[in-house]
Amino acid sequence: MKTALMLTVCALLATGSSTLLGGPTVSDDSFVLLPVKNDPTVSFRMIFLAGSQNDPAGKEGLAAVTASMLTDAATQRNSYEQILDKLYPLAASYSAATTTEMSVIYGRTHRDNLKEYYPLLMDAVLRPAFKQDDLDRIKSQMLNYLENTLRYASDEELGKAVLYTRLFAGTGYGHITPGLAESVRSITLADVQDFYKKFYTVGDITVGVGGGYDQALIDNLKRDLGGLPASGSRAAAPKPKTIPLDGFDVTMVEKDAPATAISMGFPIDVLRGTKDWYALAIANSWLGEHRNSSSHLYQVIREERGLNYGDYSYIEYYPGGGGFTVPPQNVARRQQIFEMWIRPVPNETRHFALRAALREFQKLVNNGLSESEFQLTRGFLSKYVLHYAPTTMERLGYALDDRFYGIKGSHLETFREMMKTLTREDVNAAVKKHLRYGKMAIAIVTKDAKSFKEALVSDAPSPITYKTPKPESVLSEDKEIGTFPVKVKPEDVKIVKVEELFQK
Amino acid sequence: MKPFMASLLFILILSVGSTAMSASIFPYKYRTEKLPNGLTVIMIPVESPGLVAYYSVVRTGSRDEVEPGKSGFAHFFEHMMFRGTKKYPAQVYDSLVTAIGAKANAYTTDDYTAYHLNFAKEDLEKVIDLESDRFQNLDYEKAPFQTEAGAVYGEYRKNITSPFALLNEKMQDLAYDVHTYKHTTIGFEADIKAMPEAYEYSKSFFQRFYRPDNVVIVVTGDVDPGATIELIKKYYSGWEKGYVPPQIVPEPPQKKERTAEISYPGRTLPIIDIGYKGEAFDPESTSYVAALVLGDLAFGETSDLYKKLYVKEQKVEFIAPSIPMNRDLPLFEVYSMVKTADDVAYVRDEVYKTLEEFKTKPVDAKRLNDLKKRQKYSFLMSLDTPDHLAGGVARFVAMTGGLEVIDRLYSKFETITPQDVMAAAQKYFTPDRRSVVVLKGAQQ
Repeated sequence: MKTALMLTVCALLATGSSTLLGGPTVSDDSFVLLPVKNDPTVSFRMIFLAGSQNDPAGKEGLAAVTASMLTDAATQRNSYEQILDKLYPLAASYSAATTTEMSVIYGRTHRDNLKEYYPLLMDAVLRPAFKQDDLDRIKSQMLNYLENTLRYASDEELGKAVLYTRLFAGTGYGHITPGLAESVRSITLADVQDFYKKFYTVGDITVGVGGGYDQALIDNLKRDLGGLPASGSRAAAPKPKTIPLDGFDVTMVEKDAPATAISMGFPIDVLRGTKDWYALAIANSWLGEHRNSSSHLYQVIREERGLNYGDYSYIEYYPGGGGFTVPPQNVARRQQIFEMWIRPVPNETRHFALRAALREFQKLVNNGLSESEFQLTRGFLSKYVLHYAPTTMERLGYALDDRFYGIKGSHLETFREMMKTLTREDVNAAVKKHLRYGKMAIAIVTKDAKSFKEALVSDAPSPITYKTPKPESVLSEDKEIGTFPVKVKPEDVKIVKVEELFQK
Repeated sequence: MKPFMASLLFILILSVGSTAMSASIFPYKYRTEKLPNGLTVIMIPVESPGLVAYYSVVRTGSRDEVEPGKSGFAHFFEHMMFRGTKKYPAQVYDSLVTAIGAKANAYTTDDYTAYHLNFAKEDLEKVIDLESDRFQNLDYEKAPFQTEAGAVYGEYRKNITSPFALLNEKMQDLAYDVHTYKHTTIGFEADIKAMPEAYEYSKSFFQRFYRPDNVVIVVTGDVDPGATIELIKKYYSGWEKGYVPPQIVPEPPQKKERTAEISYPGRTLPIIDIGYKGEAFDPESTSYVAALVLGDLAFGETSDLYKKLYVKEQKVEFIAPSIPMNRDLPLFEVYSMVKTADDVAYVRDEVYKTLEEFKTKPVDAKRLNDLKKRQKYSFLMSLDTPDHLAGGVARFVAMTGGLEVIDRLYSKFETITPQDVMAAAQKYFTPDRRSVVVLKGAQQ
């Protein structure tokens, strides 16, 4: 098995390009290499800083459409059907993923099949055909996602999308990656071609290669990717501003929901690689480690009260959280948020559940972690991080993100090292500095939003009753939760209909 | 577990498992031990940087829920296994698993339930201690039992907004009359609502099914089999055998086609699910193994129909087969999300036409060979972490109790001919074995 392994990530510093044939080449420092000698596979991740923040106004979704037009469509040499046929016996594939700041073209092949795979991958990046029928197919899928799947099939994903876009309304972060329905409908082949020429340039690419490859592959990549469009001059997208938050900013999505999904959060100015981030990671893990019963929110809301399936918190953007147990790679952002995710609760307990989460969050902000909580969580994370990137492809993703964040060395190694040196005081100081109570956006997907709004703005008590017995300790705490003050002004609660979301 | 996700998982496992080599296909040496109490232990040492995966596979799933009103109980019980023992009450168990930084969870399928932990190798004995304790000495009061029922209902509510959850629930209910595959793994909503009342039943569930002779432990990664088996003997030998197999009523042969239409309360494109009564997992059966490859050949992404409906005509958002591996007779299905309701009948008829062609024309030998090559490389590429390896073999272990079947199945794959595929199409894909469900959104 492949993993032996020096987790060496070396940016090539040698100047080998002079030995290559003429023409532009991709510079050595655009490569992030992760050689793993015993790995029988080769992994590729090519990152372009072409994310949804770069979508032109009125063309929201263009970055995602363009990326799919490279990997899920014809090239100048092969029709889409021919590509599928050629990849099939190789058991290899390549795909695109677009997030706010970047698009990544990634794929993996067994090294036995590298010779057949490589030209297909290069064709996809360098020689897309940009055919109308492929565009129609890809747009249709995105529209189906925006108009049907996201609005109706998963209320918790819907709630998160509403939170993310609300916090950054009016900025490049203010729409979700698949865009807006009307904008997607308006995207033309010319739009895609322009976007490709502008953002998929030789100067913009960062190339990650991992696994059992040899130097000849790297030389070929330098030469071949030199065939990307020449870099033009364009300003980097500005770091987004967030909406002003003076109190609770509530968006309720009215729909015939069988249960209420809640997501809430606010921007934070801390990024991985800094001491504060690792300190805050300890506090966050204690409060809400993703998909883990060690999460305190999970213990209070699910384990003790049985209100839902889980409750978590985050200090980094974590899209598609229902589908991952550990953080995804290559979703890096310059502006992060703190977020709490309350999975759907029975509609009659929505006010109570919201209060329960806010109350626990306020306690963390006010009191920080106790010594025992700190020690337990620090020990947990020092080993749990081992599970974040067990495969070469995942480690390569982290290495590329290290480049994005300007981290020298490895974030995951730093993470483990920091767990040895951080103190409880560091953690609680980071909490005080970066987390605050009372100023946050809240997204709620629910039925009869009007009555919830009335209850919220009047801060009406929300007593809870159970069909089954609960311990006295829970019942007495329930009284405090049910009257925990949450001051919301009527003008700060907006009710939107689900069918109006992500439209234009 | 979401039933639709479970179906997709079967496809994945199929690709994981198949390869075209003739001798031993499974690439790792492993050691199997059976304790006197019937507990089977499979240890697969593989190179990994100090990491171990530990799977306890209980050969009980929603298939075993034979009592009326108890659908979904295997899954519910999976939740209860985290509610502690006298030695390690729930919070202590949680804090110990947290202290070792383990990645721990569990899932339930139709045929089995798996409890899995990934951790650093120095914590192996702690994990064996914790796991052996809860499997032998689970002990919970009525109140936490009832509270956990709320979490399960929450899981149901979270899932049911997906049209696929509704569709699968309906298809299983329609296609089966008496066999327990009639209900999904998460169970009927009415049964989930009634779960808080089943405290005593839950105790009997544990007594009957959570027995060493119904459990297989799979340990992979940076492990020494000799030392590992000694630890397992030390901690598990006191566990008394006593598995009581449930009396699962076989499904009688279906006599004629069944159809149903259901309405999804939200908005969705229409989805058609065409299911045929298939066959239980049998690696010796030529027709069964041929059916496993037929699904991909007829409806996978290099099939003529996929290219026609998805790429050229763009009538569908997707079309995909599901040919699962199960202990009892499953459905062999084809799903498609169709762009307009007017085309649902057209897509259905195209599926039928494709199957008729497979019955009369041998499939192209090159495509069959391409599939065999694909399966070989999928298999080799999929076993890339201890967790993927243990998870990838879990269903085989659950169905048969061991790993030997993997080589047998893949040797059989190698022998499959275009004529075998044709015979499988004729055997399984007949109108009398068929059930069809069409789901449409109530709002448009």
